Amino acid sequence: MSTLGKSRRSFLIASATGLPAAWIAANYPGILAAAQSTGLTFFNDAQAAEIEAVTAQIIPSDATPGAREAHCVNFIDKALTTFSQNDQAAYTQGLQDLQAKTKELYPDAAKFSALTSEQQIKVLTAMEKTPFFRTVRTHTVLGFFSRPVHGGNYDKVGWKLIAYDDSLNFKPPFGYYDAQEMKR
Amino acid sequence: MKTYSTSTEVDYVVIGSGAAGGIMAKQLSVAGFSVVVLEQGGWGKYGKEHEYNKDEWLARNENDEDRLMSDPKLQVNTFRPNDKVKAVPGSHSYGRVVGGGTVTYGGSMWRHLPYEFREATYDPTIPSGTAMADWPIAYEELEPYYTQAEWEMGISGQRVNSPFFAPMSKDYPVPPVPLKSSGALFHTAAAKLGLTVIPGPLAIITKPYMGRAACVNCGICSGFGCQVKARSSSAVTVLPIAEKTGRCEIRVRSYVREISVDNSGRVTGVIYFDAQKREVRQKAKAVILSANASESARLLLMSKSARFPDGLANSSGMVGRHVMFGNTVSVNALFEHPLNEYKGVISGAGIVDFVPSDPKRGFYGGGRMTARGYQTPFDLGLNGLSPGAPSWGAGYKKALREEANHRMNITSFVTQLPLESNRVDLDPDVKDAWGLPAMRITFTGHENDKKVMEFFRQKSMDILEAAGATKVWAPPVREANSGAHNRGTCRMGNDPKTSVVDKFHRAHDVPNLYVVDGSSFVTGGRNHPTMTIDALAFRASDHIIRDAKNAKATSRRSNASGT
Repeated sequence: MSTLGKSRRSFLIASATGLPAAWIAANYPGILAAAQSTGLTFFNDAQAAEIEAVTAQIIPSDATPGAREAHCVNFIDKALTTFSQNDQAAYTQGLQDLQAKTKELYPDAAKFSALTSEQQIKVLTAMEKTPFFRTVRTHTVLGFFSRPVHGGNYDKVGWKLIAYDDSLNFKPPFGYYDAQEMKR
Repeated sequence: MKTYSTSTEVDYVVIGSGAAGGIMAKQLSVAGFSVVVLEQGGWGKYGKEHEYNKDEWLARNENDEDRLMSDPKLQVNTFRPNDKVKAVPGSHSYGRVVGGGTVTYGGSMWRHLPYEFREATYDPTIPSGTAMADWPIAYEELEPYYTQAEWEMGISGQRVNSPFFAPMSKDYPVPPVPLKSSGALFHTAAAKLGLTVIPGPLAIITKPYMGRAACVNCGICSGFGCQVKARSSSAVTVLPIAEKTGRCEIRVRSYVREISVDNSGRVTGVIYFDAQKREVRQKAKAVILSANASESARLLLMSKSARFPDGLANSSGMVGRHVMFGNTVSVNALFEHPLNEYKGVISGAGIVDFVPSDPKRGFYGGGRMTARGYQTPFDLGLNGLSPGAPSWGAGYKKALREEANHRMNITSFVTQLPLESNRVDLDPDVKDAWGLPAMRITFTGHENDKKVMEFFRQKSMDILEAAGATKVWAPPVREANSGAHNRGTCRMGNDPKTSVVDKFHRAHDVPNLYVVDGSSFVTGGRNHPTMTIDALAFRASDHIIRDAKNAKATSRRSNASGT
């Protein structure tokens, strides 16, 4: 596609979604570039693998995509260097706590992400009241359901799970019951 | 846009640009007066509304400049249930942008019913210990202004001939919003229970009107700015007209800390902080205070002087008292099939049979039940599943899939009685980032109000069951003690000893100060305040313009006789 065509297409996308890229770039320096980069901005690879494993237990993959396919860890990584910088310390400490809890319950395991799914659930169940788990849970949900431009909800898999249509232009009937009423 | 130097004495300074402030600015500037509107917040997307978006992650992280609502961390406020305990940090917030709360509100525009202006004498069953009083105006006096507001702002709806619906002299300018699934389920239940469903009047246009486009039902509506300008906010209706007169300047990020007076007790202008926190003085012949009930009362109390040691316009001691926030009751249900309530407006239908009070129920008051169910993806994911649903893991994902779009909610907007002990005043200890005393809210509702809420909680469950819900859940009722529906803090009345403003919104104590917003409400009606705020503003503007023109004529005559 020509450069012209490409820029026209991105303009159309921006207009249709009501989210002009230039506006974000101007107001939130770096966020657009950061969110769209595939590289990590806060975690190292090993940390990212651990956090990804946690997110994948919060919204597991089954017949449909979960947090892993939504790239929730990518969203969290970008959030920690943009809007959620205050949570950096919580993640650094939380990763240590996760390692400690893993070792406590499974002394032979090298790391959380190496455990079986059942074992991972046991570790997280033991941690589910901690501020760290709550923070990861919140971030995973936000990453799963936020606009893909922020790094998660890849291919809108989160929105597909809840049948959320982001086309922003609807005509009645909207749902089953008003459709029934219209037929009367 | 016209700009005025601060040393120019303008005809009017209007403090606040929301529902009332926007109308005042437009009416006064169109009538030929010079007007400066001072708005605490920023521009938002004024004039470039297409830039509004529904990005929840950005909305959670807005910086102060882009924020549409006040932030309790910056617009500090404190709360205490009564005056015997020390106040703790509060969570009160309000629209803080050009257009105020109308930029993001759901848009419900119910008129008050005629008897809601004379409840104290109309109904003998009002419990003791309240400050219920009749308004100094009757519905019939306000009716033409309701109509004017509906036509000038652009309100959609359907005129209904019913004892549960205020009589109207004219239809709405545009038809009601389309029926949603929650509204259809209201119809199902109403048919079984013999109830009345009415399409809700909304400040959302359903056909092109006055140069604006119709609602496209984009959904995720309330809480977000409207990209197509279909929501009839002050920012897309009256304020652009005011600006176009060439006589109205809107000054943003202008936080008024004092309304100044001279030795004779007349207002001379205001002192405000600009965006750089510099103090600026703006001279004016008169001031219109439209900052919302809580902030208007706070500003009057902050405006102390030798002549007004207890705050401006407060010789009665009534400024800040009788604050009402409006109780709501929320009950949820799941249904077998998808409703997709996130599409379209927040609420399109109301059950109105319980608006009038009925002594047989054992309490005083009533309310309006609205059909809704709107959840954003964040709302659903973070905390929006039915009780007992897991919060993570396979069970959580299953519940997300099954419950998404299947939820309906009934929110009832009900009576909250005015009490003299419920008030807004200045916190003696806590200051905001500008060094001004924080707003302090003291609030505990009347025992009667709990009975009202409990009644609507039960009725909501009955209706949802009759509609065929598969699961119904109703959290315990909780009274509202903060929030955007605030009103009542500068009640209007004929007696300067018991009220703050007269029936035309002029302060009893100060001849050139008018308080025009929800603060002049004497009683709260069935909660939804904006339609009545709008009508009061149009009515007040008529009288203020007449006063000013008469004064001009008088001074011309006296000048003539003097020469």
